Amino acid sequence: MDHSLFSKPRDLFLDIVNPRDYVQIDSVSHMYQNLKASVQKPLKMILLYGKPGTGKSMLLHKLHHDLSKHQKVFMIDIPIIDEGDFLRVLAQKIYGYVNRDAITLTDFLELSSAVNYPQPPIVLLDEAQLYSTILMEKIRLISDARALKFVITLHKTEDEDIIAKEHFQTRIWESIELQNASAEELKIYIQKKLLKANCFDVANMFNDKNIKLITKLTKGNYRETNKLLFSLFSLYVWYEENTPSKIKYNALKTKYIEMAGIQAGLLHD
Amino acid sequence: MIDIPSLERRWIKYKIKRLAPYALATLIISGGLIIFLYSMNRDDVTPPPLQPEIPLVKVTPTQIIPIEPSIPIVEQPIAVVTPIITPITVARPALVEAAVAWKPKELPKKITPSPLPIAKSIQAVAVTGTPLSPPIVRPDSQNKPISIKQDSTAFDIHEIEDRFKNNANPHLGLYIARYHYDNGNYSEAYNYALKTNAINNTLDESWLIFAKSLVKLGRTEQAKKTLQLYISQSNSEGAKSLLNNLTKEDAQ
Repeated sequence: MDHSLFSKPRDLFLDIVNPRDYVQIDSVSHMYQNLKASVQKPLKMILLYGKPGTGKSMLLHKLHHDLSKHQKVFMIDIPIIDEGDFLRVLAQKIYGYVNRDAITLTDFLELSSAVNYPQPPIVLLDEAQLYSTILMEKIRLISDARALKFVITLHKTEDEDIIAKEHFQTRIWESIELQNASAEELKIYIQKKLLKANCFDVANMFNDKNIKLITKLTKGNYRETNKLLFSLFSLYVWYEENTPSKIKYNALKTKYIEMAGIQAGLLHD
Repeated sequence: MIDIPSLERRWIKYKIKRLAPYALATLIISGGLIIFLYSMNRDDVTPPPLQPEIPLVKVTPTQIIPIEPSIPIVEQPIAVVTPIITPITVARPALVEAAVAWKPKELPKKITPSPLPIAKSIQAVAVTGTPLSPPIVRPDSQNKPISIKQDSTAFDIHEIEDRFKNNANPHLGLYIARYHYDNGNYSEAYNYALKTNAINNTLDESWLIFAKSLVKLGRTEQAKKTLQLYISQSNSEGAKSLLNNLTKEDAQ
């Protein structure tokens, strides 16, 4: 049994995408509302893009969590690279069509036309930059046939921009870009996450100087922030067990934040 | 599980690496500052340009006051000269005979040289003390004109006269005659020119001093005759010129 004050906060910042851990920040919340509204429009494709760690996957999981209560939604968070497997999995998850053999695009479109949903089913594709060009072209054709509505996420890199240009430029689609958080947003993110878990004492230890340093180290990236804070609270757990006199409970020590940065690979010795 | 001791060592390494440039920059700036201040101090230590401790005072002469001898010069009677004039009036061979007949030992008995006025004037200056000092000079109340004549040869002329008596060198005689003529002792000048001509009658200047001394003594006609005789013997241009001047003065 772990009785450390910092063990719970440490576990909160494990880099696991869980829609229940979604923290509502104004800017992200605004984007999420836009995304939900776009999904209700007759758009064939919605593109969600941004740098790694900006919260695309979390937003997609949150969307899946919220929409699945009202309509048919299927999320593929781990890309299915093979074309036959991709269509087969879709046919099974959306239309309940079970076939051990791979199916063709024609077969899939015939199947989709045979099944009638009051609202087009939504397919959420995470890490879409990992799909091949041929498969992306078939996804586009399915979308054009209005058989399915796709929400895909892309990492914003040079190559991924090329993919986006090739497959989505001429389509009717809506794109939403996610960005890193500001210091203020990061402070809200951290404190809301701690307060949500009733870690009031630890939440009060964060002052503006600490947040500024954390923002500098992580550049406002949520994933990096999670890694840093996980390392930081791991350090505090160790010090609390071994040398508790070194811990001050009114503020975080800069030294420990920097040590956590080294541990997380954000600082180099 | 995180290895905290290792992480602490890595953190110390990171801090050193991070702060090293700042420490180096601080060191360089401090060093530069110290060198700059040191050089500034050295500049301050360098001696300032030399200035005279005593300020120079520009002295402008206020007035040049001529110093006149307080004792008037008493001219000596020239009565003793008369008997000696006779040989001059004769022709050149006669002058030679007169020169030979001349006895210098008789002269000192009749001609007593008056005290030199120059010496007196020098004494007067010495007594006065600091005549050039401005505060002593009172131009309004004690405004006596003073003229200073300095002649370092004044005391030496006697020695030259002694030498001339001993060796009868005509050049010494000419020198003594010129000296007395320049100092206004025309009778002395006359005597020594006469003696010189007796020893060497070819010295042009000696004859001219002899003639000019006669003129100064008021015996212009005798001077003219002497010059005419000399011109006839030597054809001297200087003698001719002097004779012409005398003739012109008479005509005026």
